[in-house]
Amino acid sequence: MKSSNPFALWRWEKMFGEWQMFGEGFLRTIEVAALALILAVVLGVIFGVISTSNNKVMRGIARVYVEFFQNTPLVIQVFFMYNGLAIAGLRLSVFAIGVLGVGIYHGAYVSEVVKTGITSISVGQVEAAKSQGFTYIQYMRYVILPQTIKIILPPLTNQAVNLIKNTSVLAMISGFDLMYMADSWASSSLDYGPSYVFAGLLYFMLCFPLATWARKYEERLKRNDIARVPFDPSEEAVTC
Amino acid sequence: MKKVLSVLLVLGLVFTLAACAPAATTTSDSGADGSLDAVVKAGVLRVGVKEDVPNFGLKNTTTGEIEGFEIDIVKLLAKEILGDENAYELTPVTAKTRGPLLDNGEVDLIIATFTITDERKLTYNFSTPYYEDAVGLLVKKAAGFKGLADMDGKVIGVAQSATSKEAVNKVATEKGITVTFSEYATYPEIKAALDSGRVDAFCVDGSILGGYVDDSTMILPDRFSPQQYGVTSKLDNIALTEAVDGYISGWLADGTIEELITKWGLNY
Repeated sequence: MKSSNPFALWRWEKMFGEWQMFGEGFLRTIEVAALALILAVVLGVIFGVISTSNNKVMRGIARVYVEFFQNTPLVIQVFFMYNGLAIAGLRLSVFAIGVLGVGIYHGAYVSEVVKTGITSISVGQVEAAKSQGFTYIQYMRYVILPQTIKIILPPLTNQAVNLIKNTSVLAMISGFDLMYMADSWASSSLDYGPSYVFAGLLYFMLCFPLATWARKYEERLKRNDIARVPFDPSEEAVTC
Repeated sequence: MKKVLSVLLVLGLVFTLAACAPAATTTSDSGADGSLDAVVKAGVLRVGVKEDVPNFGLKNTTTGEIEGFEIDIVKLLAKEILGDENAYELTPVTAKTRGPLLDNGEVDLIIATFTITDERKLTYNFSTPYYEDAVGLLVKKAAGFKGLADMDGKVIGVAQSATSKEAVNKVATEKGITVTFSEYATYPEIKAALDSGRVDAFCVDGSILGGYVDDSTMILPDRFSPQQYGVTSKLDNIALTEAVDGYISGWLADGTIEELITKWGLNY
């Protein structure tokens, strides 16, 4: 049993004997990621739409939100929520910090994705909708946003993948997520080899299907677009 | 999908084989492994030390140097092995990084409040203990705790990889109370969690705790299961381990270690 090999077989056996620990962490990671993703998409759509509005103040608010959360490290944001807010008297649970911290952080990125999606829809669409008497909310809801979904889905999925991985920031604040459990096991048993490989594999199992799906979807989208491109002189004549 | 799976499988195999290979070669020549000669040849002793533990290994912010009891041991060892007390190279480590750093050969030794346990001896070599300490609890004065017995249902902050969790758990069970634990990577993080009220007690070896006491906090009189610190080396490096162990035993016998303990105020 005595061995300095960090990947020795008995270390793996010992670790799988404690699989519940990793199971709990894995579950916690999935829960936090799922709720944070919902929050990120909700915030992203709201701020993405706001940032394309004509109202300067609204656009400013969206800008501040995006720039603040994109340009400060998630680690600091989470550490602040954990210790800073607690000193100020607001004690959020680590679970709540995970959902809020990661959700708000990625909301800023999703907002940029949504904004890009909206601006990629031609202005003519808006004008046409307006001419039919659609209000701002109405044409966003029924005309613009449905069309952006196809465009923003691939980058959105990448955000989801990043979000899942970023929940590992909880390990720092004793969040009992997968990374925390891996750290805990690695350092208490000294079997860091199996511990981190296994945790990595579990993260991979969550992220890989999502990333693959996004890539496939994007490829199909591109193929369809190329298929549609063939030059049609009559169409040209109309647009001119 | 099938392709991806097979690639993964191959990668996994390579990983396992690569991991097995060094173990197979090193066991055959463990008698005279040349680990001591390697250090002499390199002309520098590379040691992993703590840089966030007052009196043991703490970075002096004005000079940028790491100082403490354990650094003095490094100097003594460098002098004995290489004839020059400055022929050493320090690498700051945490509980999480010290094992991997030793395994991948970045450092020759770890002298970083590494507690000796039977389980750990399966993975590393430990020298004769150069220090013995018991686990203590640091709490906020305002909380009014008199001892562990008052802490039923409270959260205790411990360092990852520390043996203090088991030590406290055992005593808590004996006293019929339950406490929960939050683990952190570094000691300053636990102190921050104590300050912000995230944990009710900061639990670590008493001597380390001493460096974190301030006006608003105090150490409880409770002491749990004495911990022994040893100089840690790779399991295969027998020659180096034996040499180091010889020096440590010598310094324990002639009072050199005792002197250093007094110098750093660790004999409370």
